[in-house]
Amino acid sequence: MRSLRIRLVAALSKFNLLMKQLYRSKLKSKSFVLMTCLYILAMSVAIFWSDIKELFTGNDQAKQIAIVNETTADLSGLFVSNDDMKFLQNENNLSKLEKKVKDEKLDAIVKITDQNGQLHAEIATYTPLKLNDQTTISSLLQYAGQHYAVQKLSLTSEQAAQIMSAKTIISNKNLNEESSGGKSEEEKQSGLWVSYAVGILIYFFISTFLSMITTEIASEKGSRAMEMLLVSVKPATHFKAKIAGVLLLALTQMGIIAVVFLVYAKFVKNGVIWDAATSIVKELSLGYVIYAILFLLLTIVLYLIVGALFGSLVSKVEEAGQVLMPAMMITLIGFYVMLSGIGNPDTLIIKIFSYIPFTSGMVMPMRIGATDIGGMVPLLSLGILVATIIVAYLFSLSFYKRSVLTYSTGGVIQKIKTVLKVTT
Amino acid sequence: MTLQLQHVTKKYKDFTAVDNLNFNIEKGEIFGLIGQNGAGKTTTFRMILDLQETTEGTITWDGKPVNAINRDVLGYLPEERGIFPTMKVEDQLYFFGELRGMKKAELKRDIDFWISRFELEEKRKDKAETLSKGNQQKVQLIASFIHKPQFLILDEPFSGLDPVNKDLLKDAILLLKEQGTTILFSSHQMDNVEELCDHLCLLKRGVSLFSGSLLDLKKQYGKTKLAVRTDWSTTQLLTLEGVKDVRVEKEQTVLTLKDESFAQSIFQQLSNGEYIEKFSLDYLSLDEIFKDKVGGSIVEV
Repeated sequence: MRSLRIRLVAALSKFNLLMKQLYRSKLKSKSFVLMTCLYILAMSVAIFWSDIKELFTGNDQAKQIAIVNETTADLSGLFVSNDDMKFLQNENNLSKLEKKVKDEKLDAIVKITDQNGQLHAEIATYTPLKLNDQTTISSLLQYAGQHYAVQKLSLTSEQAAQIMSAKTIISNKNLNEESSGGKSEEEKQSGLWVSYAVGILIYFFISTFLSMITTEIASEKGSRAMEMLLVSVKPATHFKAKIAGVLLLALTQMGIIAVVFLVYAKFVKNGVIWDAATSIVKELSLGYVIYAILFLLLTIVLYLIVGALFGSLVSKVEEAGQVLMPAMMITLIGFYVMLSGIGNPDTLIIKIFSYIPFTSGMVMPMRIGATDIGGMVPLLSLGILVATIIVAYLFSLSFYKRSVLTYSTGGVIQKIKTVLKVTT
Repeated sequence: MTLQLQHVTKKYKDFTAVDNLNFNIEKGEIFGLIGQNGAGKTTTFRMILDLQETTEGTITWDGKPVNAINRDVLGYLPEERGIFPTMKVEDQLYFFGELRGMKKAELKRDIDFWISRFELEEKRKDKAETLSKGNQQKVQLIASFIHKPQFLILDEPFSGLDPVNKDLLKDAILLLKEQGTTILFSSHQMDNVEELCDHLCLLKRGVSLFSGSLLDLKKQYGKTKLAVRTDWSTTQLLTLEGVKDVRVEKEQTVLTLKDESFAQSIFQQLSNGEYIEKFSLDYLSLDEIFKDKVGGSIVEV
């Protein structure tokens, strides 16, 4: 009994030592530092986007656009100058204006006329307008066209205003008393965008740490340090220590990102981001946040197990890409299925992939956030994920012992065959 | 009795790597496992280290099966040199020592001792990948026994070392033996084996051809190697009774005798009662025995 305890303690200390060694060396590694900086940079760009945009576009002078209205209707109230565009409406002499355009003192002339009761607008420029400006002017003119049509009906101004501001108010009523009320469109929209962010995050984390664990094990195998290690620690301990070490790194990176986010949210722009974040979380419910975190962590664990197994298959670190490819393809598929959900999150393909363990982490949060599903669906998907992790873990543990010291050439299938051949 | 292999067999699907291997290694001795590449040496080591399972047979250490013992009593230098390329030499030794359950403070004295003994003082803080091949090997060697194992396995420790470093390694092995370490090593450089081993096992394609003391092996063949310096031609020498083979070397002619009992009559005929410059009868070298046992020239597989 006592010797068993001593041995357990010894195994634990070896586990700790291996884990710490991996953690310390990777924490200082260029790729980890760079990746963390990149996340922080991306977050900073997102948060300070408006200021950055200002920096690049702020110097642009407002476009000078002359409006020449040749109809009887008064449309002047529709063209309101702003920082991007300045509308000049009091000069009607076309030839004067055209000279100004040619002299580049004016960017465009919009001539509005009546053609068979409909509004006709002609945009005259010397240098073509940018797409952005074109779109703005087009939508203004469309609106003006509707306005013009309404004015032609000789309605009172109240009647006209009513038509122009007409909107359908939509509310949901759930006749199924067993389920809670359906989500409003607004809730679904914010759920969609948050899920999109969660999905991207999961995708990036998987790609980073999957390749980290695979190359780590492959390089130990390739440098033949593996044999030295496995004489002193059991393969199972080695396997677990590698997964734990990389998971710890992933958590560290998430922690750093979370802390930076909190600092930004609380102290930048008087906490508007914090308010926005809390309101989003409130809208999505706490359950969503918990699910998203669970899916994120469990999916990473699953991929780490697979990554460790794949790393043990290759003979040297140069071959790591070869085994990483299939796993990366699966994450990519999950990622694209999730992307397809941005347009319509209710498709069958999304439903299917939200149950597949390797992709559910990316797809399921979207279904929880942006569609009306019962409480059982995410639980079932989570259950499948957990079960897969357990099976993959047990299988990998036994296979790892055999593959980690087997050196072979050829493709992935050939390697698996060799492992089976020389160890049974 | 310390290490005991009984009927150890390792079979793969289509071939047998080790077939019914039996030998004992006594405490404090140096045991050589000799064989060509692919003879099953590394497989045997891996089975002893519990890195591979045996198909049949038992391997025990002090009476306990090897998969039930505390692994820290074992030390292993793999044939393929493997250390962490980006770790500093010193850190590497501390890491492997700690992995074997040693404390940093305990390790310091030994690490200092071995680093200076192997003339690695200047490389102490260097990354392992920047070291020469020989120096990397010395680092790995220290790593394999820094935790003072009771039983040390060295797989081809001499390959890739220059003569000076070879002597350093030999001295280290003898020092470890003095301290009571049991050592099992493999080599295909027979001169090293001859110098160091008390007992040995000759392996050919997984089958043991001989297992026992070096002297016993040599006695099996007897003193049949006769080196002479003479004016006799090869043809003349071959007519002598009991001469199996004649080989002319630079400074001497070497006769292989059928039996050492023929030596006396050959001496009389060659010297003819007069002064003779060289007449030396000896056991075969291990190299020659090995070649004879495994059948002719050594084939690299």
